[in-house]
Amino acid sequence: MKGLLLRLEPLIWLIFGGGIMVGTMLLTGWVAVVGIGVPLGIFPADALAYDRASMLGSHLIGRVVLALLIILPLWKGAHHTRHLSIDFAGGERDVLVAPLLYGIASLGSVLAIVAVLRL
Amino acid sequence: MSISIEKHKKTFVVTRFDPDKDEVPKTQTYEVPCQDDWKVLDALNFIKDEIDPTLSYRWSCRMEVCGSCGMSVNGEPKLTCKDPIKSYGDTIEVAPLANFPVVRDLVIEFDGFMEKFQSVKPWIIRAKEKAAEEGTYRQTPAELDEFKQFSMCINCMLCYAACPVVANEPEFLGPAAITLGHRYNSDSRDEGAAERNQVFRGEGTVFSCSYANECSEVCPKDVDPAAAVNQAKFNAVIDWATSLVLPRGSK
Amino acid sequence: MRPDVPAHPHAMQPSKPGSTRTAPPMRPAKFPAGGNYLRYMLFDATGIVYMLAGLVALGIVWQLGNGEAAWAAQMQRLSNPIYVLFHLVCLASVIFVGVRFFSLFPKAQPPRIGPAKPPPAVVFFVGLYGAWIGITALLVAVLAGGIF
Repeated sequence: MKGLLLRLEPLIWLIFGGGIMVGTMLLTGWVAVVGIGVPLGIFPADALAYDRASMLGSHLIGRVVLALLIILPLWKGAHHTRHLSIDFAGGERDVLVAPLLYGIASLGSVLAIVAVLRL
Repeated sequence: MSISIEKHKKTFVVTRFDPDKDEVPKTQTYEVPCQDDWKVLDALNFIKDEIDPTLSYRWSCRMEVCGSCGMSVNGEPKLTCKDPIKSYGDTIEVAPLANFPVVRDLVIEFDGFMEKFQSVKPWIIRAKEKAAEEGTYRQTPAELDEFKQFSMCINCMLCYAACPVVANEPEFLGPAAITLGHRYNSDSRDEGAAERNQVFRGEGTVFSCSYANECSEVCPKDVDPAAAVNQAKFNAVIDWATSLVLPRGSK
Repeated sequence: MRPDVPAHPHAMQPSKPGSTRTAPPMRPAKFPAGGNYLRYMLFDATGIVYMLAGLVALGIVWQLGNGEAAWAAQMQRLSNPIYVLFHLVCLASVIFVGVRFFSLFPKAQPPRIGPAKPPPAVVFFVGLYGAWIGITALLVAVLAGGIF
């Protein structure tokens, strides 16, 4: 497992880097509107009415953006949470923690692609 | 004619550890009449000369170039020959550098550092040495600038004492070793990047670094090891990507 | 203040023991929440927020694919104060991560990749912050009903 993690590390780091950069850029607008603006009434609720949301989400660009703003934060999150675990719980548990976190990120990534294809 | 120099008393709480007598390290307190322009090292030398000759610590050049006198001063890794006592209050706590096993008093075991250091092959590696008749290797100022900053490391190990990853992952190569490996990878005379990247992606993996940046905060020579380590990650990824496409040995 | 919490027992340990007994290594005194370490810990802790944000976004997109009724229920759920609070924490986290990361990004560029040298740091700042603001503005305009 340790050997596998070492071999995959450059790839994980690349996706994590993408997560920090592009993921952060995408999440800002998403959270501002979907998470805060519309629920608090700052933006009109019918901006996210089903018909409009469906139309936006099923467009090719919409699918790509939605997939990225799920996948990239998952990998950034998994990588940093793993580091947090090492800092507090030590390196020994990493052989359990890392596969768990990256496993969640992997599963979430697959489900993200399925989710946008269903739109 | 006598010159009277003003002195102010400061209390030094110093870690003591004698492996033959002490189960665990303990502290000992010394009252030291300090001159205002003293560094912490001057106070330690006063303690050893005038109060307690049994105190053990490393020091040498007194001018921030040898890297011997690194210690924890009020919880932060410092070069004691550089650290002025007037930046502290009346009580100063001096302890051995964090993250290292302690041999005695303020003296740390640094063989572990030397092993990590040598593992990155910190020398020019060439496939074939130039014959003497062909002259010296030539390098432009621009080529020198690519690595010069990283060659300024004095191996004082303050960065290891500050790094949270070093505290938790024993195999991690650490800031100074990676910086030096990266220094050689960036040297236009060197041809050993592929070999060093194997080490960078091995057990001591550069990717263990989580960019806390503490190493660069404490570096007394502005080497910026955090920059070197993160540049090394980038290069290691490129090395990994090219090794997927090109078989090893084609470099 | 002194380092008095143990680090990993084998931190910086040489492969062969020395001739005398050593005292175990101690963690940096200000770790984990003192001095600069707090900022670093928060930076890593945003990992948890990002993972949750990704999973919540996944749930939202999934419900969109489940039809109008499911979507309406999802929108209702998002109005719950817990979700709003989470997203406020999320927003604070992404801003914190962006600012910290973009300030650390320029110096992490290698001096050369092949023949290409990196541009001066100011180009990175303008590029990264410009892209961040631009993408956010575009996304807000689209999602909030301004365009399309």
